[in-house]
Amino acid sequence: MNMIDIENVSFAYSGKVEALKNVSLCVRKGEWVTILGHNGSGKSTLAKLIVGLLKPQTGTIRVDGVELSERTVYDIRKKVGIVFQNPDNQFVGVTVRDDIAFGLENLQIPREEMVERIERYAKRVDMYSYLNKEPQALSGGQKQRVAIAGILAMRTEAIIFDEATSMLDPDGRKRILSYMRKLRDEGVTVVTITHDMREAVQSDRIVVLKDGEVLKADKSENVLKDKETLEQSNLELLLPLEVLHGLEKKKSTNEELKEFLWQLSLNG
Amino acid sequence: MAIKFERVSFQYRGVDDKGYLALADINLSIAAQGEFITLIGETGSGKSTLAQHMNALLAPTEGRVHIFGVKLTSDKKKNRKQRLNPIRQRVGLVFQFPEYQLFEETVLKDIIFGPKNFGVPHEEALERAKKMIQIVGLDESYLERSPFNLSGGEKKRVSIAGILAMEPEILILDEPTSGLDPMGRNALLKVFYDIHEKLGKTVMIITHDMDTVYEYAKRVLVLREGALVYDGEPPGLFSRKHVEDWNLELPEILRIQRALEERFGIRLEKNPTSRKELIEALGEVVM
Ligand SMILES: Nc1ncnc2c1ncn2[C@@H]1O[C@H](COP(=O)(O)OP(=O)(O)OP(=O)(O)O)[C@@H](O)[C@H]1O
Ligand SMILES: Nc1ncnc2c1ncn2[C@@H]1O[C@H](COP(=O)(O)OP(=O)(O)O)[C@@H](O)[C@H]1O
Ligand SMILES: [Mg+2]
Ligand SMILES: [Mg+2]
Repeated sequence: MNMIDIENVSFAYSGKVEALKNVSLCVRKGEWVTILGHNGSGKSTLAKLIVGLLKPQTGTIRVDGVELSERTVYDIRKKVGIVFQNPDNQFVGVTVRDDIAFGLENLQIPREEMVERIERYAKRVDMYSYLNKEPQALSGGQKQRVAIAGILAMRTEAIIFDEATSMLDPDGRKRILSYMRKLRDEGVTVVTITHDMREAVQSDRIVVLKDGEVLKADKSENVLKDKETLEQSNLELLLPLEVLHGLEKKKSTNEELKEFLWQLSLNG
Repeated sequence: MAIKFERVSFQYRGVDDKGYLALADINLSIAAQGEFITLIGETGSGKSTLAQHMNALLAPTEGRVHIFGVKLTSDKKKNRKQRLNPIRQRVGLVFQFPEYQLFEETVLKDIIFGPKNFGVPHEEALERAKKMIQIVGLDESYLERSPFNLSGGEKKRVSIAGILAMEPEILILDEPTSGLDPMGRNALLKVFYDIHEKLGKTVMIITHDMDTVYEYAKRVLVLREGALVYDGEPPGLFSRKHVEDWNLELPEILRIQRALEERFGIRLEKNPTSRKELIEALGEVVM
């Protein structure tokens, strides 16, 4: 069963800037898919189409089997949460607490449970002591953590993270990464958009976009080792895999070393 | 010294007036030329606050900041009497969020705004815009676009182009590579490094990327809860003690080098600091 089905979707901003060209892809239920691609390749556009913030000019999008339309978009947003690339776009309230509450109010979560969830997820991203602060008075990484908490608290069936960890410190990034693994283990469908190959390496499948088209979609380990494809879309191999690539080019038979490098790339 | 911090503390005024100490007793000197610095620290440690003191967008609540001879203190009246405009041209700051920097109708107008504001003739400003848009990896067609209708990484590139076009003497970049694709990141780091190397300018980059620190920095500053706890060279920073005490992430090159040494006893003669050097060095030993 697929959580997200995208069929022959094209989208152009104001009919001019072609951001996606005849894109087809799917995300299975409980799967973790990473979307990679150069700046401007169409990643965020794709994310916004999935949650109905933009409307495709051609093609269809189905979420959990239901075709996206004006009538169904509201229900679909209860199923798919999205953490935006710019956390400022997600903030509406006067305090951090209001911002985390916003999504929960839309889901009509009872008051008591709401308070409980806000506090639990604020703790999870280490922002509990900031609940009464204004979101505008937070540092960049703190804003990102609040934006993540707001979506996690909604406990949707699927979550899209659009470069949600780009401003986090290494420790914070690792915490969110391990949380993404936990979500997947619990059966939540995860879509991460990122430029960080260390994030991509954790996912089940990778889709590479280039100039609004799907360049490659395959199991992560196949894409991660594919230097040519990655470089076509401004990406680079993880360093251990770059070393591995060098070994293989020289027809090295040191399998133990190769396996070690692969393991090094998995836990970066 | 072009920039000098003397016992600088900075307190943000909270809504409830409780205040938040973002910088604590900082002493720091930065030369007008020839430095390549990276500033690191956890989320919320005060990096952006420190950067904003360096071109007088913020003034200390305690202590003194000297920028090219202008002195800033907690005395707001006195600060206002100083000529701050020239400072903002001499010390260019690229913000962490490009959205805070983009406001014109077109990318072109955005990029020429800074130079024109500081007296550069229109024609020359246009020339600079054309040059800078290419340097940040976008083609000239972007000049006619609205800066608001761009992807995140494109906005970031435009905001960098705008500051480069001012040709500041000192360049400060707040997380300039977050949101850039890997090749764009490498290319722009090289641009910043060239500005330092070829033009002899001082450049400071705020980053969470230890690879950037390890490969490029000649000097590293580490902030922890508003205090400057390290001001020195990168190799010293990644000693076991600091890595443990400050929970630092190892640069990939160092991580791999150490892992291969531990597991296979592979020892490299020199310490590589770039990807290329590591691969070459390993090539000689194992391949
Ligand atoms: N609001 C908009 N109006 C017009 N064009 C847009 C708008 N937003 C994005 N674009 C264009 O659409 C294309 C795809 O943009 P998108 O934001 O989807 O890229 P992205 O892959 O998310 O890039 P990044 O890695 O920089 O975030 C780009 O060419 C961009 O310039
Ligand atoms: N405008 C503001 N008002 C109140 N507090 C702020 C404001 N901006 C930042 N802070 C606080 O000051 C601290 C340092 O912020 P900042 O310098 O942005 O951190 P960094 O750039 O290192 O992530 C953070 O704890 C943040 O919450
Ligand atoms: Mg994007
Ligand atoms: Mg910051």
